[in-house]
Amino acid sequence: MSLSPVQFIAVPLFAAFLIPLIGKASKETVKLVPGIVLLYLSYVALNLFPRGLERPIVEHIAGFNPPFGITLYYGPLAAFLTTLVTLIGFVIWLYSYKFIIREPFEKYYMLFMLLITGSTGIILTGDIFNMFVFLEITAIAAYSLTAFLRDKDGAEAAFKYLLIGSFSSTFVLLAILLIYMQTGTLNLADIALKMADVPITMKIFILILFITGLGIEAEIFPLNGWAPDAYSQAPSPVGAVFGGIVVKATIYALMRIVYLMFNFHSVLHFFVIMGVITMLIAEMSAMRQHQIKRMLAFSSIGQMGLVIIAFGLGTEPGVRAALFQMFNHALIKTLLFFSAGYLVFHSGSKHISALDGLGRDKPLTSFFFAFGALAIIGLPPFAGFWSKLYILLSVADAHLVTVVVLILISAVIEIVYYLRVVSRLYFKRETATDVRRTPLSGLAAMGILAVVILFVGLYPNTILDWLTPAARELMNTSEYIRTGLHLNSGLLSINF
Amino acid sequence: MIYYAASILLILIGMYAVLVKKNIIKIVIGLSIIDSGVHLLFIAIGYVKDATAPIYSRPGLEAGQMVDPVPQALVLTAIVIGLAVTAVALSLVIRLYDHHKTLNINRIRKLKW
Amino acid sequence: MRKVIAVLLLGIFGYYIFALFVNVPFGVRHDNVGQHYLEHSVQETGAVNIVTAIVVSHRGFDTLGEVTVLFLAATGLGAILYDKKGKKRRLQNASLIVKVASKLIYPLIILLGAYVFVHGHLTPGGGFQGGAIIATGVLLMFISYRRFETNHNALSWVESLAGMTFVTIGLAGLIWGTSFLQNILPLGTPNTLLSAGVIPLIYIAVGFKVGAELTALLDNMLKTIK
Repeated sequence: MSLSPVQFIAVPLFAAFLIPLIGKASKETVKLVPGIVLLYLSYVALNLFPRGLERPIVEHIAGFNPPFGITLYYGPLAAFLTTLVTLIGFVIWLYSYKFIIREPFEKYYMLFMLLITGSTGIILTGDIFNMFVFLEITAIAAYSLTAFLRDKDGAEAAFKYLLIGSFSSTFVLLAILLIYMQTGTLNLADIALKMADVPITMKIFILILFITGLGIEAEIFPLNGWAPDAYSQAPSPVGAVFGGIVVKATIYALMRIVYLMFNFHSVLHFFVIMGVITMLIAEMSAMRQHQIKRMLAFSSIGQMGLVIIAFGLGTEPGVRAALFQMFNHALIKTLLFFSAGYLVFHSGSKHISALDGLGRDKPLTSFFFAFGALAIIGLPPFAGFWSKLYILLSVADAHLVTVVVLILISAVIEIVYYLRVVSRLYFKRETATDVRRTPLSGLAAMGILAVVILFVGLYPNTILDWLTPAARELMNTSEYIRTGLHLNSGLLSINF
Repeated sequence: MIYYAASILLILIGMYAVLVKKNIIKIVIGLSIIDSGVHLLFIAIGYVKDATAPIYSRPGLEAGQMVDPVPQALVLTAIVIGLAVTAVALSLVIRLYDHHKTLNINRIRKLKW
Repeated sequence: MRKVIAVLLLGIFGYYIFALFVNVPFGVRHDNVGQHYLEHSVQETGAVNIVTAIVVSHRGFDTLGEVTVLFLAATGLGAILYDKKGKKRRLQNASLIVKVASKLIYPLIILLGAYVFVHGHLTPGGGFQGGAIIATGVLLMFISYRRFETNHNALSWVESLAGMTFVTIGLAGLIWGTSFLQNILPLGTPNTLLSAGVIPLIYIAVGFKVGAELTALLDNMLKTIK
């Protein structure tokens, strides 16, 4: 069987169907399945990555030519994001291996596999309705995982998430309906081609529906009310799943749609403003939090604000910086959630005040938390520094001085609240010791992330070399239409 | 035209229920009313006057006599998704009721909005 | 107060949405991909029901996603309501008439469901509809017989095997054809039961899966008492 992008979707799905059957034979084997699947996917990713960089792979599902069938579009951007999802998925599995020991853990792994299916589907698909289906798969898996711990607050956070999420899916569905009504097609490339003829009022309405619909999942202010509760009530690895995978896939969906369908320069300034508001409010709320996971959730929203600002610049360096920031944030926030998960576990309380002196009692976990904190606030040797620097540079290039100042202010706020936690870990008197050890698999997961973060921090060019074609792909709409629909270049010259 | 108006009205009724009602089961019902409204709107834009269902069930039928099949296919998918969301929502309602012994959202809401 | 604000907000939202539709003529044929399907689907897929052809063939990937969503709901429900294991349904007595009648209708409902999903490519209906009909039959039995129990083990086997059949058919297309979910069987004569390539096979798998999943969903939700 030849390798093809569809395996990113089909293999985890097959595994999810297989897990209950394996579970009947041996419950312990179930835990290994996601790891094997994700290792296989990384093998696929490594093999396909160079091919995707060279020339986008457009796969026609069921052999029908676009726009009549569903296509998968595996270009540099999708290659980069699927690899990211696979990597984050793998470390999350490694971490969950000893963390999720409560029954029914086979259901946890099934939901986790389906969530991976959904997010890779969002990234790969070239069809708008198919994207909606995968968005819903991701969302329903996320609702169920939020309530996985089966306590009072978990159910409530999940219900709140579900209510807001249903509104989001209604808006996206309405937008798809309007698009089908106006353009008569569902293929993304074909829509982009025909969008030029759509009246402007209709376009604006469709855009608003997409921004509200996808902005809910992508945590844009003021649509992110679900996020802090869901992050803090779900099991820690699930918080990492939200921050590392779900949000990244949705931001991708939003940006792909905006860049592809709407004349972007008029729209994108709006994104800069939304991003700034999101960032400032989130960082200020993070400052006031007493629970560590809620703090991380708000910090995650703030970082997404930064990403949206960079996307909103609409320049190639800006998009590249945004993708770099997405990559770094996925790694670092996952590391922070992992270490915070065990810090909460050892201290027995979700509150920051309970973490006093854990730095001496649990040196490794605390070290990883401090490492992540320093990386996310953007200290030089770490990965976070470079992406923030590039974002600042590209914002300065666009002559948006106010935005530069605001980003710096929010960075200062970030430093304050992260260092507050780190100082509690190390400089407060020890309160109690916990005899339970942090399991090896958890430490290994954190170790892998820390190594990658340090490596990217020392050699940022390795990642940036991949990101340049990815950013170019997002910017170059006509190229996407041409490869997506297999058109000759002559046909397109009329429209562009 | 009346079909568009009716399905939009259905969406609005559903949204009203979600925003205003206190009983969480009624909120879930509101969600599924919104879904029905959107589905009807889909079917309405695919309708062609005096056309029949897109099935070549007897000889002599031509493509020009049939309604647009794509919205129907999309609605089939959307209905299943709506059903899945409703099922998960109802299971969360069962859990909330077990914990709080009430369906009133004001007495449940502990986490800040 | 809350109600007034809600009505106002919804009024504005509804006004703008309706304003978009005012200029869209109702009941008129548009020039879109649907016309292509109407004209070419029968030759391309062999199914006379164009909606089925679109759902299973052209947009078969959506259907795979759809099946996944249902599976996800069943799994999520199992995870969320895990504490309810070992609980029973509320015992309530149905009258003799209901009991006898439902016992008579039950096999017929199952048969109808099977008919609907086997003939998905010929008549209105298909895997989802057939599966839903089967689940209503089981629901009828749940209501009338308090001790009626489903075999959970068998249900989860059916669920997993049917889902894997779907993915395997898809992967078979990748191995013997050129792409995922591609038809690898002969198309046959349109309008006969054995036609349309893999469409009936996929719909039978979907029918079994949906029937099993909805039954499991109902069973899970109805259990309230220890």
